[in-house]
Amino acid sequence: MAKGLPGYGTIKVPKDREVPFGAVTPAPVCTQNLFQTSNWRIVRPVKDDEKCTRCLICYLSCPDACWIYKEKENEMEWVAGFCKGCQICIHECPTGALTAVPELDFPDGVIRLEKPF
Amino acid sequence: MAKEQMMTGCRAAAEGAKAAEVEVICSYPIRPYTAIMMELAKMVANGELNAEFVHGEGEHAQLSVTLGACASGARAFTGSSGVGVTYAMEVYSPMAGGRYPAQMSIADRTLDPPGDFGSEHTDAMSTRDQGWLLGWASSPQEVYDNTLIAYRVGEDHRVMLPQMVCQDGYFISHIPDKIVLGERSQVKEFLPPYRPIGPLSTTKPVSHGPQIRPDQGAPMDAMRAQTFLAVPKVIEEATADFNRIFGRKYDPFVEQYKLKDAEIAFFIMGAHANTCRASVDRLRKKGVKAGMARLRWVRPWPTHQLAKALGHVKAIGVIETSTSYGGAMRGGNLIHELRASLYDLDKRPLVTSFMGGLGGETIWPADFDYMAKILTKMVKEKRTRNYVYWLGM
Repeated sequence: MAKGLPGYGTIKVPKDREVPFGAVTPAPVCTQNLFQTSNWRIVRPVKDDEKCTRCLICYLSCPDACWIYKEKENEMEWVAGFCKGCQICIHECPTGALTAVPELDFPDGVIRLEKPF
Repeated sequence: MAKEQMMTGCRAAAEGAKAAEVEVICSYPIRPYTAIMMELAKMVANGELNAEFVHGEGEHAQLSVTLGACASGARAFTGSSGVGVTYAMEVYSPMAGGRYPAQMSIADRTLDPPGDFGSEHTDAMSTRDQGWLLGWASSPQEVYDNTLIAYRVGEDHRVMLPQMVCQDGYFISHIPDKIVLGERSQVKEFLPPYRPIGPLSTTKPVSHGPQIRPDQGAPMDAMRAQTFLAVPKVIEEATADFNRIFGRKYDPFVEQYKLKDAEIAFFIMGAHANTCRASVDRLRKKGVKAGMARLRWVRPWPTHQLAKALGHVKAIGVIETSTSYGGAMRGGNLIHELRASLYDLDKRPLVTSFMGGLGGETIWPADFDYMAKILTKMVKEKRTRNYVYWLGM
């Protein structure tokens, strides 16, 4: 009677698509690449090293710690994986060294027509 | 043998939480569940229970505090009623998705408007698809027992899900009934301590509740669904252990009362099952072959178990104590899932539903006689005339 009833099927999540249990991950020491948050960016800040005075205001104002000062190279480095394109750094930059450039202008832009997310 | 006592459902839930040695309790007042927190507050104040008692500033905060407590590795307990249950709505899915096996004890209350204290299952039923384990008790004894069983099932590492232990407001929560509390040794044997997976820790820091990408959403959902495939076995094990240790006779999913040779059956859950049982006896004396199936868990829904228990019955009356306005059958929620569960049987029973016990109304013995009359007529006519009947309307 209960025999012959449909089953619930099986669910097999492909290994490469598995998500950590309950989305609990080891706390990031620097960056946590398991969960990137940059996928809704529509513009990104592009720096002009000529205008940049390394004042670190972008580093201080970024809510997601996406500007890093590279001491050896004496350069600012942008973290692509977590920048949400909020443009606070662009607003705060005192020398106008940062410009908002649409993601579509980059071959690795996060908003691509063929793969919106 | 332990002493029999008289106790309300609220007191029974508090005694269950005390027996489970909950470590964090978060309260916010709303009747009728609020008596659970009153009892627990007394226990903490009297030094009977060593728990952190936190007053939330609302139900949303209550659930959030409970989530945090559970994330830090504490056995956490909260509860609510009616609109309080729905006010916390945002937190249900993150709590299940984050795999925090906390417990919420619910004494049902009708949702507004305009404000009704009476019991109705719509409050907790409206959360049924958020990934929690969800079930109803039909006596203070069962409230106590379910509190322990739910913790055991929810905290199992194959499960790790939050649980809602529901009881009808007033009918169960405020009417004292005979109850036997478990011995400390019995509880110890049945319920192991909570072992969190990846708790918040200062020595081994972890991130909880991160933002994920849309392409991680589907695997996350699939993994949650996968867990629900494993839950029934854990419930069966836990119920068998509970029956053995505490000497009870629970069917893990469906209480079957005089169903074996029944021609018509009532499908019910919660407090009104008590009137239903007595009505089955009375109807049987009159020569009506009636029976009752009482649902103990709504999530996970026992599809196969119900097909097995009810497949031979000729007509089933689903007693709905929750509303599904505009739903497929224009009545309550249970009939949808029961009909779906029986659909693949070679010989399907006729199924109708009765809206009863809404807004806290009593379902009287005479109502069961009326329902039996309709079901008997359905058997005779071999057809279902209406999907739903509103009792007394």
